[in-house]
Amino acid sequence: MLDLAHTEMPLPAADPAPAVPPLGEHLRSPELRSAMLVQQEALHAARTYLREQGFTELLPPLVGPVTDPGGRGAKALDVDYYGRPYKLMTSAILYKQASLRGFPRMFYIAPNVRVEPAETAGTGRHLVEFHQIDVEMAGASREDVQQIAAGLLRRVVAHVWQQVPEELTRLGRRAEDFAGLLAGGFGRRTHAEAVERLSELGHRQSPDAEIDWAGERLLSLAADRPFFIDDYPKGSRGFYDREDPERPGVLRNFDLIADGGFGELVSGSERESQYAALVTRMRESGENPAKYAWYLDLAREGLPASAGFGMGVQRLVRFLTGLDALWQVSAYPKLPGVIAP
Amino acid sequence: MTGLHADGFPEAAVRARARRGTAEVFPAAGSYGSRLFGAGAGTPDAGAAPHGPGDGLDRARLVPPVFMPRRLEKLIDLGREPLHDDVDLRTALGGFTSELPLYLSAFGSTRAGSGDLAIAASRQAARLGIPMVIGENMVPVHGYRGGAERSALLARIAAYVAEVPDGVGGLVVQQSTEDADGEVWNLLYSDPATRPLLDSGRLAFELKTGQGAKPGLGGMTVVGRAEAAALAGRFAVRDVLGATEESDESGEPDESAGSGGSGTSPAPGTSPLLLRCATPGTFTQEILRQQIRFMRNNYPRARTWVKFHPGRDVAEAAAVAWAAGADAVTVDGAEGGTGWAPLVLMDAAGLDLAECLRRIGRPAGCLLASGRMWEGGRAVKALTLGATAVGLGRAALLAVDEDPDNGLVRLVAALALEARLLISALGQYRAADVGPDDVWWSDGSAAPAAPTAPGVTR
Repeated sequence: MLDLAHTEMPLPAADPAPAVPPLGEHLRSPELRSAMLVQQEALHAARTYLREQGFTELLPPLVGPVTDPGGRGAKALDVDYYGRPYKLMTSAILYKQASLRGFPRMFYIAPNVRVEPAETAGTGRHLVEFHQIDVEMAGASREDVQQIAAGLLRRVVAHVWQQVPEELTRLGRRAEDFAGLLAGGFGRRTHAEAVERLSELGHRQSPDAEIDWAGERLLSLAADRPFFIDDYPKGSRGFYDREDPERPGVLRNFDLIADGGFGELVSGSERESQYAALVTRMRESGENPAKYAWYLDLAREGLPASAGFGMGVQRLVRFLTGLDALWQVSAYPKLPGVIAP
Repeated sequence: MTGLHADGFPEAAVRARARRGTAEVFPAAGSYGSRLFGAGAGTPDAGAAPHGPGDGLDRARLVPPVFMPRRLEKLIDLGREPLHDDVDLRTALGGFTSELPLYLSAFGSTRAGSGDLAIAASRQAARLGIPMVIGENMVPVHGYRGGAERSALLARIAAYVAEVPDGVGGLVVQQSTEDADGEVWNLLYSDPATRPLLDSGRLAFELKTGQGAKPGLGGMTVVGRAEAAALAGRFAVRDVLGATEESDESGEPDESAGSGGSGTSPAPGTSPLLLRCATPGTFTQEILRQQIRFMRNNYPRARTWVKFHPGRDVAEAAAVAWAAGADAVTVDGAEGGTGWAPLVLMDAAGLDLAECLRRIGRPAGCLLASGRMWEGGRAVKALTLGATAVGLGRAALLAVDEDPDNGLVRLVAALALEARLLISALGQYRAADVGPDDVWWSDGSAAPAAPTAPGVTR
């Protein structure tokens, strides 16, 4: 029997927070200006692509009685809402599922706030305030939304190279950096295969958990084009990721990992929509079902089956520009654990 | 002293130890030469239990052998005959290093467990270099940041962090279903105040599935009407306590007062004191397994502990927890509990600690045991039955109530001396080396340790 209690996993060390220039100086930097021009084109391309695919853009909610419980120690911010404890959205996943009743293909470009643990300040990949291209599709399978995510990424890359190539080259990006991506055919592996590959590379990775930052970077550096990681284990993701009915303990979900060390760009899944399964999964993730009353009431009435994903805007722009850290592609960066305006 | 009492607990002996420390381990030194001693002259109250004539642990005896190969090893190691002082009590415990096979148990959110006494206990536990567990429901009841003053939770953490020596001890924080709404673990994990503990690998989170005194039920406290109104929406509050004679000016009786509402019942809706109930939470094998994995995934730099009530399937539950990667499993025997509980649950529900340990058998990971611990005998018996360490709950509160500066330190000094005496008498020199051969029941009531529970799927 594999006895994990005695498999000593080293506790990951914290990276030091980088030195971010004062806001005034940051806002004047040529790198930020280039990054914002790239971001503007990326968002334009994303909206165009999704509209062509029949998606409707809605504007996302900002606060609610509950939000995505998230994971990896990120905390939601509390808001006093007429005397009730409300949360600022860490993601609007629950609202996306609800929206399918009227909008079977919908998306947001949504601001999210997650008070990430301070230890993530030095990963280059975490900001407290960030945005997602948040897509949900009724009746879709994981493979259907993976196709949308891949198409979206390809369209964005092609569009920015067409519209603002000088900004990309100024930042040191070369067209060949994206040759693999534009040639199509993203790689695919399961979480279990990724864990095995990391073990071969000498990196110890828990088989029950998300791929850790260091591991994800190793896999990303070894790739020549983006690739999907499928089938994360239950316990590593939120209650709304659907469990594979054929393979208990395995989720019908995925991440899309960029090549070149840039790591995760997209997280997505088929969604759980059955009431009893949602309540049970909430308990398995330590949540109190009572606080999700509005969402569970909808689930009792019947939520459409769906699949969807969120693509991190800042992570996307960092990948496009090749800059080192997310704070360089955010006009108003807030690093975990760092008090900033 | 605050007027804290613990009926059915050897309170007088605990208070004496809090005052006099190791002197209480022996008969009065002044009586030497003028009194005769023998069986029955032992520690006062040591065999007294709230559930009849002592529980399984009290009935057990430690049985030193004549031949002691480990003593020979120690003799060779030292180059002289070993003494009880040579017993090394330093223990690896739930991912931490502890100076002793001891930890401070959770006190819960009762008044006794969250005021100055708890802060005094935190400070002394830190000085002792032993881990400390902070109970559930402190944030929903007392808040996280507090207002102008620091919250009860953060005050206890600050007291502990300020005094704990480098490299030893550790802080463990529970989270209940109600706490999950307040995201206690997330708050702590991202709080700069806990960063030194996190960076030195000395922060753990404990998933609590129940408690010894009321197995199968959630936390209960007594609240006044004003507090009840403030808690509405987060806890169930029930008007079942009638007019309580033992209430004090703060409107809340001692957690151990034990005379649940002895006055005439007032008209409905007018009783001054109400029962606040937290939910116990729903667990299946799969829910437990996944919650542990979720904790390990979400808090990779914190250790994961799990606490069980003395359920009849405790062996199966412990096996699931270890297989899912728990760094420690705590079992709270039915003797345990600093919290308020219905009398019938205390009298009639749950396995005693000895039976829990017997059912678990040889543990597949770090096993922690609590339930009426206060002296070395019960502690060492628990170690022989598989526990890595034992928790002090009520005894710690009484000791700091007796002396907020040194009461717990003295109580523990007495316990540690007894443990060294007993373990060396068994021919062992490390706490981890005692085993089921070292304990005996004259009535044969407890069979030797069974193997780890079968039938646990992963």
